[in-house]
Amino acid sequence: MPLIEVSNLVKVYPGGIRAVDDITFTVDRGEVFGFLGPNGAGKTTTIRILVTLLAPTSGTAVVDGIDVTVAPEEVRKRVGYAAQFIGVDDDLTARENLVLQGRLHGLSKTEARRRGDDLLEILQLTAAADRRAGTFSGGMKRRLDLGQALSHDPELLFLDEPTIGLDPPTRRALWVYLRELNARGVTIFLTTQYLEEADALAGRLAIIDEGVIVIEGTPQALKDDLGGDAITVTLAPGDGSQVERVAELIGQYSDAGAARTYDGAVRVFTRDAASRLADVVRTLDSAGIHVARLEVSEPTLDDVFLRHTGGKMRVEEVKPRSRMMFTRKPR
Amino acid sequence: MIRTFRESSILWGRLMRKMVRVKLLLFFALFQPLLFLLLFSQVFDRLDQLPGFAYDSYLQFLVPSIIALTALNSAFQSGIGMVTDIEDGLLDKFLIAPIRRSSILLGKVMADATRMALQALIIVGVSLIMGARFETGVLGVLMMIVLAACFGIAWAGLSNVIALRTGNGELTMMIGILITFPVLFLSTSFMPSALLPSWLDIVATFNPITYIVEAVRALVNTGWDWNAIGKAFGVTAGLAVVTFTAATAAFRKVIS
Ligand SMILES: Nc1ncnc2c1ncn2[C@@H]1O[C@H](COP(=O)(O)OP(=O)(O)O)[C@@H](O)[C@H]1O
Ligand SMILES: [Mg+2]
Repeated sequence: MPLIEVSNLVKVYPGGIRAVDDITFTVDRGEVFGFLGPNGAGKTTTIRILVTLLAPTSGTAVVDGIDVTVAPEEVRKRVGYAAQFIGVDDDLTARENLVLQGRLHGLSKTEARRRGDDLLEILQLTAAADRRAGTFSGGMKRRLDLGQALSHDPELLFLDEPTIGLDPPTRRALWVYLRELNARGVTIFLTTQYLEEADALAGRLAIIDEGVIVIEGTPQALKDDLGGDAITVTLAPGDGSQVERVAELIGQYSDAGAARTYDGAVRVFTRDAASRLADVVRTLDSAGIHVARLEVSEPTLDDVFLRHTGGKMRVEEVKPRSRMMFTRKPR
Repeated sequence: MIRTFRESSILWGRLMRKMVRVKLLLFFALFQPLLFLLLFSQVFDRLDQLPGFAYDSYLQFLVPSIIALTALNSAFQSGIGMVTDIEDGLLDKFLIAPIRRSSILLGKVMADATRMALQALIIVGVSLIMGARFETGVLGVLMMIVLAACFGIAWAGLSNVIALRTGNGELTMMIGILITFPVLFLSTSFMPSALLPSWLDIVATFNPITYIVEAVRALVNTGWDWNAIGKAFGVTAGLAVVTFTAATAAFRKVIS
């Protein structure tokens, strides 16, 4: 039996916004499941339904065999949740925040203290244990927030954009820790806008856009689905305006839809990059286009993402290989 | 029952810890009442010479009003704290824990009551230093504190309704100030009933604060007036039923 079973889940907010529009998926015990989507896709809404903070409009969400609307308290005992926005009490110390969560989850004072000490150690906050959380850096607060979600040693962890606002080294350190947690048997449901993150952590992922799951699978399968390798043509600085024309010229070599245009670059996906590369060079050369760089690479999750989320609108904003960044909406 | 007590005590403990650490949380609601106590007791010092003014000094008359004013201020602090906890994502942290929702409210009420009692005690202390006398002694002071805390809790219900409906701490504070002043002045807080214009005297009888102030005033100046005390608790209970019904509804709406 899967650990999470979501069927035909719908959430319509008062005012009529269909934030989640009939999604169905399962997550197995022991997985790291990535829920990937741009801002406003419905990730947070889905997670909040799963952790019993939000009632669904229709459909069902079952966690560990328990319907979240039937026995929410049983679900709460089993899951840990680190929200998109950090929830730590700035006036309390790191230790006090952790002990508070442990106590609220039913641990005795002694148990909560012991667990708190362990978590401080694991999250490398021991040195700052007795400092007020208000003095912490963003990365430290994130770790503390994660610690709170772990205070009762849950078997299932929900993380809503856990690395947002973290610098790359801190992000990577957190990834390492999440992998360790998963290796110890904790199932992780993770939302992210960072494709790199989903790629690094998730064994399986679903891409959600405008409340609908557009595709689901392993990162590799999703990349394979694009049809082999990517050929990226970066135009000489003066020729940036030629992208549309280049896209037209080399689009014929694509095995996965039209060529994608970026700021000063064009990309096609092909099953036979070696021979296609020659074609591309020849075509561009005879058209008199100056190429600054030509690159063959594996498709990234960026490519998958763009292909499945109506990338047309967003493509221009994104350079190849750069991480997609979305601004954080104020609550 | 035991479970609710355990859960709400944990949450009470958090708020107490915060108050001990961030002294402003304790003193915030006290600044203005203390200022009023110092200023009014001087400015209106000679009122005791008016015919119809039946108290030994204006200070003796004023202390109960200052206690009530402190409770009003502290009540609005409660709503602001609620908004802050929501904004900081802390309410979510409590909602995600396997505890009863009623424990969350009860823990808050307990913390509010503790703070209000301490604040009333501080006002009593300052009044003593300023030369006020408390006719009913320690037991009387205890009764005053209980009254002030109960009334403050009832009023905190209103502040939480406003806070939960507006979702805005600053706006809540502004509305609080806007409500507090007329409510305070349209009562017998600063002038005895006999000296109020007759229309105001009538309005004052519909103002819950009048009953709290009168009961405390009797405890400070004349003795145990069980009739006044009974009325004060009655009015407080009535007010609490109304504000807490509305506050619970607003809370449900916010967390659903
Ligand atoms: N409380 C709310 N009331 C009304 N609309 C909301 C609320 N929360 C989110 N939405 C809307 O629902 C959609 C999905 O939001 P959300 O689940 O937060 O997306 P994500 O987490 O993927 O960025 C967005 O259009 C958002 O504006
Ligand atoms: Mg979100």
